[in-house]
Amino acid sequence: MEALADFALTFVGQLQKPTLAFLLGGMLIAALGSKLVIPDAVYRFIVFMLLMRIGLAGGMEIRNAEPGDIFLPALIAVAVGCVIVILGRAVLPRLPGVKVEDGIATAGLFGAVSASTLAAAMVVLDEEGVGYEAWVPALYPFMDIPALVLAIVFAGIHQQRQSGAHKRVRIWPIVADSLRGSALSALLLGLLLGLFTRPESVFDSFYDPLFKGLLSVLMLIMGIEAYARLAELRRVAHWFALYAFVAPLVHGLLAFGLGTLAHYATGLSPGGVILLAVIASSNSDISGPPTLRAAIPAANPSAYIGSSTSIGTPMAIAVGIPLYLSLGHWVFGL
Amino acid sequence: MTHKATEVTIVAEKVIQEQIVEIIERAGATGYTILEGSGKGQHARRTHERPSVAGDAFDIVKIEAILGDRAAAEQVADEVANTLFTHYSGIVYLEEVEILRRARFWR
Repeated sequence: MEALADFALTFVGQLQKPTLAFLLGGMLIAALGSKLVIPDAVYRFIVFMLLMRIGLAGGMEIRNAEPGDIFLPALIAVAVGCVIVILGRAVLPRLPGVKVEDGIATAGLFGAVSASTLAAAMVVLDEEGVGYEAWVPALYPFMDIPALVLAIVFAGIHQQRQSGAHKRVRIWPIVADSLRGSALSALLLGLLLGLFTRPESVFDSFYDPLFKGLLSVLMLIMGIEAYARLAELRRVAHWFALYAFVAPLVHGLLAFGLGTLAHYATGLSPGGVILLAVIASSNSDISGPPTLRAAIPAANPSAYIGSSTSIGTPMAIAVGIPLYLSLGHWVFGL
Repeated sequence: MTHKATEVTIVAEKVIQEQIVEIIERAGATGYTILEGSGKGQHARRTHERPSVAGDAFDIVKIEAILGDRAAAEQVADEVANTLFTHYSGIVYLEEVEILRRARFWR
């Protein structure tokens, strides 16, 4: 009961913070029919800036980190990414009106990671004064890539069963495609620059100070797009909407549990545990959808993109982040 | 002095752009034009001005290629329709056009 009250308080508190306020503001003006559109180029630039900032900070901190400390959280990230897809593969296609391919693609997208949700959580933690290892956000590819690969492999197996034709799913092209995508390229380049060069001056004067402000614009965009994509979701089975409501929280709690184990085993910070939960809770935007569209052509993009953009992402940001934060208060006495 | 040629136009999802271009080049086209677009089809309304939160999974392109040889243009249209439009959205059509500088369209 006390935990529930704490969550309610945290949630209401977050409503007034820029991250959530801009997200809900975006939904509101879209619902009112506002014609405000932030240009695509600006959106892409913001995503680049956030990922470069995450990569640089992670790289600079890995210089001084113990490789052993990173190993367990990275392993958890891979495991959670796979479990999410296996769970979704098992559950979604059993629901009435859900096509197997649509279910697999949706599970893949929910296993994959959203940079915007992750960045939102980092800003919330900063504002709450909760510290975390700067390399934790950089663990995101460890969950993102395995989830996408596994979903595409599942879809390939299903297609083989359908047609009887043997067509091997080639894994490396999917991995390479993800790594070369705009999101992971920025993150990995940032990591390398942070690790092997001295980017402190641009980090301190440019990437870091702009982070919060750009995130508020990004949240506005996510809010507007969430509302705009609701129309897609109306055209597919209602079960996708239900999955999109529940799955982010289930996935986050699973990662929170495993992260707590890592806290006791190798000293992962409470903020790191919360971020791991948020990474699991989030569902991919910008890079995941085209990868899945190209690799699982039989799946209907309205199903997985609709459920992710219009329900999954707002849930992960608006409910997930305050939930894991109050869990953090409760479990670690933050 | 103009010459008869066939233009094949394909409006399709951007995710299959590379595959379409490959088919066009294999058919012997010397070039093609790609335009980003917005519009509405059987499946969805598509815009290219909005922020692409879903990446380019919902974007469409219009690809135009002029071939001097009608059979080659038909081959492109058939191959695109039979191999790609089974799962991806798109339309394809042929038009008779009159071209100048014929050598530009022959390999």
